[in-house]
Amino acid sequence: MKKTPVFYRDLKNSDSEALESLNVPSRISRFDNGEGSQTIIHGAQNAWDMLQEESSLTRITTSCADLDNILGGGITCKEVTEIGGVPGIGKTQMGIQLAVNVQIPSYCGGLGGKAIYIDTEGSFMVERALQVAEACIEDMSEYSRFLHKDLQAFQVGMQSKDILENIYYFRVCSYTEQIALINYLDKFITEHRDVKVVIIDSITFHFRQDFDDLALRTRVLSGMALKLMKVAKTFSLAVVLLNQVTTKHTEGSFQLGLALGDSWSHSCTNRIILYWNGNERYAYIDKSPSLRSASAPYSVTSRGIRNSASNFKRAKMM
Amino acid sequence: MTPENLLHYPFPSQKCTLGCPILDRCLNGGIPCNSITEIFAESGSGKTQLCLQLSLCAQLPVSLGGLSASALYFHTEFSFPFRRLHQLSHCFQSLYSQAVIDEANCSSNYNNYNPCDNIYVQSVHSADQLLDIMPKIESFLVNSKTHFPVRLIVIDSVAALFRSEFDNTSSDLRRRSLLFFKISGKLKELAKRFNLAVVVTNQVVDFVGSGEGVNGVRIGNLASLYSSGRRVCPALGLAWASCVNSRLFLARDENGMVDGDEGSSPCGQTKRRLHVVFAPHLPYSSCELVIKREGVFGVDR
Repeated sequence: MKKTPVFYRDLKNSDSEALESLNVPSRISRFDNGEGSQTIIHGAQNAWDMLQEESSLTRITTSCADLDNILGGGITCKEVTEIGGVPGIGKTQMGIQLAVNVQIPSYCGGLGGKAIYIDTEGSFMVERALQVAEACIEDMSEYSRFLHKDLQAFQVGMQSKDILENIYYFRVCSYTEQIALINYLDKFITEHRDVKVVIIDSITFHFRQDFDDLALRTRVLSGMALKLMKVAKTFSLAVVLLNQVTTKHTEGSFQLGLALGDSWSHSCTNRIILYWNGNERYAYIDKSPSLRSASAPYSVTSRGIRNSASNFKRAKMM
Repeated sequence: MTPENLLHYPFPSQKCTLGCPILDRCLNGGIPCNSITEIFAESGSGKTQLCLQLSLCAQLPVSLGGLSASALYFHTEFSFPFRRLHQLSHCFQSLYSQAVIDEANCSSNYNNYNPCDNIYVQSVHSADQLLDIMPKIESFLVNSKTHFPVRLIVIDSVAALFRSEFDNTSSDLRRRSLLFFKISGKLKELAKRFNLAVVVTNQVVDFVGSGEGVNGVRIGNLASLYSSGRRVCPALGLAWASCVNSRLFLARDENGMVDGDEGSSPCGQTKRRLHVVFAPHLPYSSCELVIKREGVFGVDR
């Protein structure tokens, strides 16, 4: 764009033609924002544009159709989603599943992106990720066979090795490392533009150790949350924060809630709570600006997160 | 900061055998390194037996499922069961002595091999003390001139460290859970740095009330846990549960003959069962086991 005026002057074009050419870029930028919008301040959007954008938002499937349904298709990009639940409910499993699913290529309806997995607890197991990756590849070739009736073309598409290679895995052992890494994310993702999901498993662990000064903890955490929101917006990727639960002692009774306190709960756009209901695992949308609160069963199978087994039976009987 | 390449990770992640193929199968190879595994059970269920056996098996060469490593054993209750360790080590020696010597031979003469030499025992009496000696543990891991590097840390039991000192007030509970996270954070850091397998044992408390779990919170694959006919749950509560990577439950049942076929169930023996309560790499599974003079063994059926 800098060179355009020079270019036209060299060609000795008339002023009106030069003016016309200068209008081109502004018209293009207006086109970017959708038809009929008038962008007054750079970066400002009106609600109509945002609605347009929201409907075109890309989502990462959870591999559980019921859960995808209530989420409107999966975990949304450009937003921060918090997933909390008791130990053993499947938070890490959900994290691994998303790190694999973000890589589903576009010809299979995915994003074809890469994942950043920040492990603060040491629960990420490579053997499990490989299991989930292999199942995902099987499902993809099944899907493409169904879609294209073309076996040969997709046999070589992807390997579980590639999937593991496309997960940028960081293991952090202290809260200082965690803060440093989150500050560094911006730079890292600038160099790796194809990252489409950042998973932090868990956001909580190191912040429950050393913080005697709770006010300081709150400030540090909200600073971190702001940075993560910014990363999500700038690079249009999904940020998924896994959180632990604690019991709160209020008025003589114990109540279950997500860790890190009340002020933290403002830090995420969406919140999903995982819980047991009888012998079934359920996910519940606790907070979302655009989704109805609803719950759906899911199960953790050897292949990863899937629809609940009992639901599957019900579907089969019909 | 650079990400780690998952393809360069040992695959599957290195495990320490329990010394019995049936138990190993139940845990997909044994106790994982770079991870904290909790075993909880009521007293007399075999937690300590399992830990002692594990400390011996860590010395086995990698080809036999071990870590070629020595163990650091912290005991917090009673006195350390030296006699039982000697008994187990005799059986271990007669079974594996040659394999361990073969493995070690290339470096030095290792003729008078005694498995007990590779288990370092230390008693700990409080959570604060455990936290205080963490730097010592670290320097021991770095500097020890032991024949085998230390690759296994056992804390038997972690519950005993916390059960006396703390009141049931909210300030004490907060102080307690802060300690949980500090200890677990430090252990995980060491586990990562030295690729250690960390095993902690935990006690049970009687389950009071109805519904699922304490305060209606169910943790893990089993809706309710029974041992010796009583409904139990692990001690130390929800906060500690968030501090471990995997949790195993050793259940005990005195009436071993109830549903067993005649003859197949060993008469007069307590029925014991190992359950996977949660683990990032394992589905739910369980396995019956027996404790003999020679050690702990799974029962295949």
